Amino acid sequence: MHIDHTHRKWFTASLVIFGVATAVYVPYAAHSPGGPRGGSTIGLAFGIIGSAFMAFAGLLSARKNVPVWRLGRAQSWMRGHLWLGLLSLPLTFYHAGFRLGGPLTSVLLWLLIIVVASGVFGAVIQHYLPRVMTLQVPGETIFEQIDHVREQLVAEADRLVDGAETAEGTRRDKAGGGVSLAMQSEVAVDEAAALRNFYAREMRAFLTSGGKRHPVLSDADTARSAFEGLRTLLPAELHEMTQRLGAICEEERQLRRESRIHHWLHGWLMMHIPLSFALLLLGCVHAITALRY
Amino acid sequence: MSGAALVELTIDGKRVAVPAGTSVFDAARLNGIAIPTLCHQQNETPVGVCRLCVVDVNARVFTASCVRPAEPGMVVNTASEKVQRARRTLLEMLMADHLSPCARQQHSGDCELETLAKQAGIAEPRYAKRNASRGKDNSSVSIAVDFDACILCDRCIRGCGEIRENFVLGRMGKGGTAGIAFDDNEPMGESSCVSCGECMVSCPTGALTNRGVTATALGSGPDVQQVSPERLQELPVFKGVSGTFLSLNRGAVVQRRFRAGDVICSEGEYGSTAFYILDGKARVSISTPMAHVKTQGALKKFIGKLSSGLAQRQQDRREEEADQRWIPIDAPVDLNYDNPVAELGPDDLFGEMTCMSLYPRSATVRAETDCTTLEMLRNVLDIMQRNKTFRAQLDKSYRRRALDSHLRSVPVFAELTDDFIASLRESVELVRYSPGQVICKQGDPAEAFYLVRIGFVKVSQAHPGGEIVLAYLSRGDYFGETGLLLGDVRTATCTALDHVEVVRIGADDFRRMIEQFPVIRQKLEAVEQERALMNRQRLSVLHSVPLDSFLAQGLMEAQSLLLLDLNSCTRCDACVRACADAHDGITRLVREGLRFDHYLVATSCRQCLDPLCMVGCPVGSIRRRNSLEVIIEDWCIGCGLCAENCPYGNINLHPFNVTVDDPERPGRKKAVMKQKATSCDLCKDFAEPSCVYACPHDAARRVDPRRFFAGLLGQAPGIARKV
Repeated sequence: MHIDHTHRKWFTASLVIFGVATAVYVPYAAHSPGGPRGGSTIGLAFGIIGSAFMAFAGLLSARKNVPVWRLGRAQSWMRGHLWLGLLSLPLTFYHAGFRLGGPLTSVLLWLLIIVVASGVFGAVIQHYLPRVMTLQVPGETIFEQIDHVREQLVAEADRLVDGAETAEGTRRDKAGGGVSLAMQSEVAVDEAAALRNFYAREMRAFLTSGGKRHPVLSDADTARSAFEGLRTLLPAELHEMTQRLGAICEEERQLRRESRIHHWLHGWLMMHIPLSFALLLLGCVHAITALRY
Repeated sequence: MSGAALVELTIDGKRVAVPAGTSVFDAARLNGIAIPTLCHQQNETPVGVCRLCVVDVNARVFTASCVRPAEPGMVVNTASEKVQRARRTLLEMLMADHLSPCARQQHSGDCELETLAKQAGIAEPRYAKRNASRGKDNSSVSIAVDFDACILCDRCIRGCGEIRENFVLGRMGKGGTAGIAFDDNEPMGESSCVSCGECMVSCPTGALTNRGVTATALGSGPDVQQVSPERLQELPVFKGVSGTFLSLNRGAVVQRRFRAGDVICSEGEYGSTAFYILDGKARVSISTPMAHVKTQGALKKFIGKLSSGLAQRQQDRREEEADQRWIPIDAPVDLNYDNPVAELGPDDLFGEMTCMSLYPRSATVRAETDCTTLEMLRNVLDIMQRNKTFRAQLDKSYRRRALDSHLRSVPVFAELTDDFIASLRESVELVRYSPGQVICKQGDPAEAFYLVRIGFVKVSQAHPGGEIVLAYLSRGDYFGETGLLLGDVRTATCTALDHVEVVRIGADDFRRMIEQFPVIRQKLEAVEQERALMNRQRLSVLHSVPLDSFLAQGLMEAQSLLLLDLNSCTRCDACVRACADAHDGITRLVREGLRFDHYLVATSCRQCLDPLCMVGCPVGSIRRRNSLEVIIEDWCIGCGLCAENCPYGNINLHPFNVTVDDPERPGRKKAVMKQKATSCDLCKDFAEPSCVYACPHDAARRVDPRRFFAGLLGQAPGIARKV
């Protein structure tokens, strides 16, 4: 999500709500005998509003599960989730009077802090990383297709290398000049051996390692140097093939980069979502126990 | 020999007497003396070009025996050492100019030139071989031309002209560039050659050889019967077809018997053969439901799952729905929309487009009675279509059965009376065009109006910078009216995209029609104005947008793009899920495609100005509305050709469970899966497409690319906004 000028209305509204809440809290806190409490009228009001904001934020998951239902645009829900979720933090603190309280309320407050912090972290990540992905992964594919694309790269590289010997053999046959066919084949195999060995030892391991770092090919500069060195060992007819193998390595590097960025883009949700549900659940428990008892 | 004066002469020491006028060659032949030759055939006028038949007649020079008449007292030596030396030199010269071993020598070892050369002990000619190839011509479906093997003996020319009287072949060029040519030096397949095979049979070398039957087998079995060339030639429709051709293409046409109820071919299947009914009757129909895909559930605005169902025209009238009553199919009849069933009988040919252009079968044909058909491959159908007798029969059948419904199937001509159509029946012309052939050219005088009977026609205009495609026309469409209405020249070039047949209505008949039926004139003028407006809009687009990578990706062709702003998109796939949810689990959008700037052009229907998806539809069901939006009509048979043709992969096939009559158990129904082509419908029932509505990050948007990218492309600022 790109947080830009289109969020202005939400930002302004949130600022106003925060301002009003603070304007209410400060005199309330200053004049409450024994300090602000969650059970007081104003404290309760803060708690209810804060919980409502949290509940709305939590409904985003449900909203995403029914994308076609006309319940308001998903973008509006997301912005509501962001700003109202953020507002729930100060409102809850105003409800708690900046006190941790007992074990349940302490856990709740810490959960809230972590959830909001992870949410802010996610918002920042999702603000910047899409652009990074666009710039750094021009050959981007659909994330779930990465393994399949990788298999295709391996197959293509295998075909290229298998074709290298044949191409070299053909070149030698045409050059001919009285050399026997057997000898010509031996020469062909020798000259393609450097390519074959490089492929078997370095490149194939890089392509099939499932994203593990490779000392030479994971980095574009060292990979370039390696391929340039390889070209010096090969006849001119194999240079184009070497270039294509280099391009395959670059595609693999892009797939790895995409995979990493994708995990950053979505990985934080593995913490944010379960903790949010825990927060909502415990919040319900707190509300029931606090009101009833 | 009685009654004719005899001429006495001596040949190789033998006294012979032959009728006056006999050539020395024939005189020798009649008396058992063989003289080698290459350019002479008994059934052709001798021309003496190869000079191999030279003999010594004790004159100053040797004489070509095939053209020299025998004279009284002539002393002829056919095999002296000098004569043989001369022949050897000639053979070496011919071999130097002949690609050896040629195709005929390779396949059957009987190239006459190479045989003679071998007999003369010539392994390699002393003279330098030609270093520039004269090329090949493989445009004909049945005869391969290899100019490198040609020795310019002219036997093919005389075979084509004297024996067959087709006069297609001739000579062209001079000296080293001399060669044989078809018509005005056109490729053989595009010339008026009828592929009788006479040239091939006449050719002494491998310059003209048979291409043979294609790899497709016509199958075997108890109901399939191979037909001998002699039997085929007994059939009236094969009258005039070369027996040699039929012999060389044995197996390319078979006789098939179908029992009543058997399916001859099914709609949507791919094939490569055409059928000609010899006897019996067959029923042609479309079994796919006459309905289009409609997204339902939109009335439940807040809750309720959307689903895709089938809706008929009466149930769901779409804006600018076609009023078309007739469905064009690959047969000599059209099917009525309300009852898509028709009958075929003896002498009917169906499956032409499938056979010639490999389109899917457009309808299901089932034998109503026991039926005998000829099933043929393309090379045979090609010959048949060039055969005068067969063409006349097809024409007659079309005029009698299909012209009426074909004309009336065009909404503009709905008012034509029976009398007028009857008067047109004999004056219209059925004209065939090969793929790539120009039917009419921009700027030429307008002399006729055309109705497309089969195939696809491209309409384009030439502009500085290149050709602009304005439209693709298929069966039932028409062109040529603008030039006639305006009394001017052609405003566009119309080219056959595949094997096209058009009904050509001459200018006089056209004028008579619009004078007699002013309503038709008004309708044509209205259509002409709409087309002119569309074309102007299209051209204004082209002139206002600079052509760089925008054009290279075909983005200018699009009227509506689904763009994903990659700087906002978190790759969560909410758009794809929403699209699938809105269409019964089948997404019409893929979050993959080309990029322009920081936008991803998602794979979703672009409503292209040049809709390649329309080309090839066997039933003409994918077409363009007047608003330029692509629409798929009710009679889509689900063959999937449009999906294959779309270069962006934007058309999907949506399966539906339907119940149809069970042919094996009359009166009962059975459930089958039928497919219908679908593409993005912009979620018409909602204010916003579901993909855009469901994007939580405001990354997805549907835009008019020319306006949206105007700023990026250096156009007037402030235009770039969401449509």
